[in-house]
Amino acid sequence: MSADISDLSLVRRVQRGDKGAFDALVLKYQHKLVKLVMRYVRNPAEAEDIAQEAFIKAYRALPQFRGDSAFYTWLYRIAINTAKNAVVSRDRSPIEYDLDRNNTDESYDMQGRMKDPDTPEGLVLTDEIRSTVNSAIEALPEDLRTAIVLRELEGLSYEEIAATMDCPVGTVRSRIFRAREAIDRRLREVFEGGLGRVEELG
Amino acid sequence: MNEELDSQLSAMFDDELPAAECELLARRLSRDELLKARWGRYAVIGATIRAEGGVRLNAGLAGRVSAAISSEPTLAAEPAPQPKKRWETSWWQPLAGVAAAAGVAAVSIYWMRSQVLPDTLPYVATSVVPAVATANTTLAATTASATQVNTGEPDSYVVPKNAPRRLVVPSTELANYVVAHSEFSSPVTRRNLLSAFMASESGTAGTSAGSEEPTEDAQDDAKNPQ
Repeated sequence: MSADISDLSLVRRVQRGDKGAFDALVLKYQHKLVKLVMRYVRNPAEAEDIAQEAFIKAYRALPQFRGDSAFYTWLYRIAINTAKNAVVSRDRSPIEYDLDRNNTDESYDMQGRMKDPDTPEGLVLTDEIRSTVNSAIEALPEDLRTAIVLRELEGLSYEEIAATMDCPVGTVRSRIFRAREAIDRRLREVFEGGLGRVEELG
Repeated sequence: MNEELDSQLSAMFDDELPAAECELLARRLSRDELLKARWGRYAVIGATIRAEGGVRLNAGLAGRVSAAISSEPTLAAEPAPQPKKRWETSWWQPLAGVAAAAGVAAVSIYWMRSQVLPDTLPYVATSVVPAVATANTTLAATTASATQVNTGEPDSYVVPKNAPRRLVVPSTELANYVVAHSEFSSPVTRRNLLSAFMASESGTAGTSAGSEEPTEDAQDDAKNPQ
C-alpha cells in the first residue's frame, strides 16, 4: 500500500474546490499539530492558535502542494515555521500579544467559553474523554487491544501488525476496526450525553 | 451506519485502503457530517492512546479552522501539476534525439543523392566505402557478365550501368589545393606534398589502368567457371 494515499485523496479534493475535505484533514492532524507546536510554546491555547494559523496557511498554499512529500510532512514544515515566527513576534512585542489575547470581542468570548478547556466544563470533558477511552481500551479483548495499540501507539502498518500477531492482514483490519467501534461507542456517549456537542470533537 | 463503510473509514484513517476506494470514500467523507464526526473521534482515540499531553481534546480547533476556511476563496479548479517522474521525462529524450538526428541524416542523404549527377554517383558511393564498393564492383561485374550470358538482361541491382571512372581525386586537384592554401603550410611540407603527388600521379595512372582489367578477367571467369 502506498503511503499517504488517503491524505492525497483528500488533498486532491480540496485542490478541486471541496472545502469539506479539508475538514477531514484538520480533524485527523489537529492533535498532532498542536502537540508539535507545543515544543515551541507552553500555553495550550497559544499552541492551538498557532496550529489554526498553520492550517489556514496550508489551505492557502495547497494549490502549490504537488504531493512530492507526504501531506503531514508538508503541514509539519508550515507549522514549525509558523510557530517560530509566532515566538519571534511574541518576543518582540509580548505586551501587544497579551493585549490581543485579552481584547477579544464578545462573540469570541462566548465561543471561547464554550470550547475553552481551561473552563471547568472543558477540563472535565477532556478528562472524561481520556478516562473513557482508556477504560474502553482496558475492556477490549486482548487481540483487539493489541491490534489498536500496535497501530496507534507504535505506528505499525497492517502488514507489520499481521506479522507480529501472526494473522492475515484482513484480520488486522477487522480487529482495529472493531476496537475503534467499541471505544467510539463509549466516546459517543460522553459527547452526546455529556455536553451533547459532537461537532466540538475537533 | 453501514458496517462495511465504517470498516473502510477505519482503514482509510490508517492509510490502508486501496486508492480507488479511497477516492470514493474521500468524496463521501467531505460531505457526510456524521462520517466526518466519526473520523474526528478516531483521531481523538489515537491521540488519547498516544497520551499526547497538553492536547485539549475538545478545544474546537477544527471548528474554528473550518469557519475560517469557509470565508476563504475556493481553491482553483485546477490542481497543481503532478510531479513528473524521472523516467517519464528522461527515457524518451535520448530516443527523440537519436530519431531526430537519424531523420536529418536520412533527409540529407536523400537530398544529396537527388543532387548528384548519374555519372558521379559511383564516385560518391566508392568514396564512402571504397573497399566494399570495389569488391562489389568486381563481384557485380562478374554477376552481370554471367547474367548477360545466361539471360541477356543487364543486372542493375548492384552496379550501375556507368562504371566508375574516377575512383580517386586526381593529384592535380590536390596539388592545386595545396598551392592555393600554401600560405598555411611551410615550404618544406609543401614541397614534400607536391613531390608525393607527382609520384602518385604516375602510380595512379597505372592503377586506374589496371582497375579496368578485373572486369575483363571477371568476364573471362564467367565464361570459364571452375
